[in-house]
Amino acid sequence: MKRKWMIVPLLSLAAGSAFAQDKGVAPATIHKVTTVCQNCHGARGDSVSGTFPRLNGQQAKYIAAQLKNFREHSRSDPHAMAYMWGMAAELDDAMVADLAKYYASQKPTEPQTGGALAAKGKEIFLNGVEADHVPPCQACHGDHGEGSDDAPRIAGQHADYLKHQLEAFRARLRENEVMHANTKDMTDQEIEAVVSYLAND
Amino acid sequence: MLESFFRTIAPRHVAIAVLLTALALPGAANAVPSFARQTGLACEACHTVFPQLTPFGRAFKASGYTLFNTRKVSDIDLLKQSTLSLSDLPPISLMLIGSESMAAKANDAGSSKNSTDFPQQLSIFYAGRISDNLGAYVQATYDDQSGSFGMDNTDIRFADVVQLEGHNVVYGLTLNNNPTVQDLWNSTPAWGQPFLTSAVMQTPVVSPQIEGAMAQVAAGLDAYTFIDQSIYVEAGVYRSALQGASVANNGNLNNNIISGVAPYWRLAYENDWGKNSWEFGTFGLDASLENPTTPAGNALNLSLQNAPTDRFLDIGLDTQYQYIDDDTQLTVTGRWTHENQHLDASFAAMNADNTSNSIDLESLVGSYYWHRKLGATIGFFNLSGSTDATYLGSANGSPNSTWANFEVDYVPWLNVKLGLQYTAYFKFDGATSNYDGAGRNASDNNMLFAYLWIAY
Repeated sequence: MKRKWMIVPLLSLAAGSAFAQDKGVAPATIHKVTTVCQNCHGARGDSVSGTFPRLNGQQAKYIAAQLKNFREHSRSDPHAMAYMWGMAAELDDAMVADLAKYYASQKPTEPQTGGALAAKGKEIFLNGVEADHVPPCQACHGDHGEGSDDAPRIAGQHADYLKHQLEAFRARLRENEVMHANTKDMTDQEIEAVVSYLAND
Repeated sequence: MLESFFRTIAPRHVAIAVLLTALALPGAANAVPSFARQTGLACEACHTVFPQLTPFGRAFKASGYTLFNTRKVSDIDLLKQSTLSLSDLPPISLMLIGSESMAAKANDAGSSKNSTDFPQQLSIFYAGRISDNLGAYVQATYDDQSGSFGMDNTDIRFADVVQLEGHNVVYGLTLNNNPTVQDLWNSTPAWGQPFLTSAVMQTPVVSPQIEGAMAQVAAGLDAYTFIDQSIYVEAGVYRSALQGASVANNGNLNNNIISGVAPYWRLAYENDWGKNSWEFGTFGLDASLENPTTPAGNALNLSLQNAPTDRFLDIGLDTQYQYIDDDTQLTVTGRWTHENQHLDASFAAMNADNTSNSIDLESLVGSYYWHRKLGATIGFFNLSGSTDATYLGSANGSPNSTWANFEVDYVPWLNVKLGLQYTAYFKFDGATSNYDGAGRNASDNNMLFAYLWIAY
């Protein structure tokens, strides 16, 4: 840990210098990120706990859509309800867009792809499992799980978070008909395998 | 001769112990639904199960209870600086605890083994944001043992956050009425486990000052910083602020008044990884008390202008480990509190055999919850210290006590808890049997305690 900040005079501490690279993001958004979002999602979106997803490098369109879903209560899996319904309640569209832009511009976490089941996970990611009606993940989520305008980044996410989302899609706890169709016949082992290939913990 | 002396004071000793227990135990630690209404977050964001805090709960407290996600009433000046930022809901909460206590043996011939306390405690809170950087946790409680309504735990905070070369630095001030009530972890006295015990249970004759003796009778102002939700540093001072009693400068004498100020300090380090968090730290209080009252109930009543003092230097080490996911919520806390007592005033008044004593209190408590629904808590406690029959007023002069606490809980809703608790004393005030010289055994103080705890 760097120590030199300890001798920096207090009045020169303005947030601006540390976040000079976050160009184009409103100061109010930086304030929101550092005083609120960071408590769970970590500095620059790289969260510590798998209860809270990593947001660094996440697709901006996906983040904005989810924040609006939370705000409008149209996403109601348990954690969304417990945490994000409240957090997103008073976000206006401009702040939503700015938060999405901020997190999308952060350096993403790379996947570990080293777990025992990772080879099987890679196979599912690339080719799907026809017998269980699981399409290849890469078809929507990109060759490396980096996501696109239509699907979120899943590479480098927390294992716990990925696992819970797949289970929530499968059980219709999280409303998404496409992902429910893709996961409804997935076995627990197949979920573990895909998570093992994509996650970083 | 000593033996007959203690036989004569035994009933008084029991009465004093009960009184000290009632005075010394802080009000039950609480979770506050008005925080949930203010933030829009469910209880589980800040608590494993109330009132145990999660890492996010600690961050919320450090930031002065100011996070809010509701509509507000606002005003700005001509420079667009905020001059008003009121939540449109007043942050008011209510709490009720009802309980049934069943002791192994009645305290004396005039007492019953059983006690129904309804309410054991009824509290009203102002708990939430006051302005952008100001928040409060203010609790007023009706306590059925005293039959009165008065101030309970209070913590009013100013807090802000800055970024220092990429580090998130929360800093603030807390004005509070109980050393450690402002603390962020459940391994320090004010919010330590078990969170609730019987209001009528016998407790050992003495404990370190910081373990509750100053709760609601002191006012403290502390400055703190919490860096990257990891490094915590706090320092401040406490002065006496007795409730319902005149203090210091109105011509009436009082006991146990803090001479000048009592310095308080706290250092802690928390490391979070995955679902785990581990904290270790130290805390302390250095209090010189004018006209001290001894545990035996002997008091000095001299002019406060030049009142003699006993000095109590408390130093604690604490640690807390948590594992939290949707299925399992595990918290283990450990604490060692050492107190050096310099009894100059009490010794000179022949209220103590020794000029200095020491006591040590060790505790290790683990709680496990399944799906935030069913829980079990086990705690072990050991109190040891110098033998001083005159100071303590106990039959054998030793404060040594050992006990264990077992509890099972059912949490049907996140703001309702049903608990069944058993406290077993293996040694009490220096002995396993006949500790009071009148035939009472440590196990006679064992207590079965059932409670209902609701907060809205």
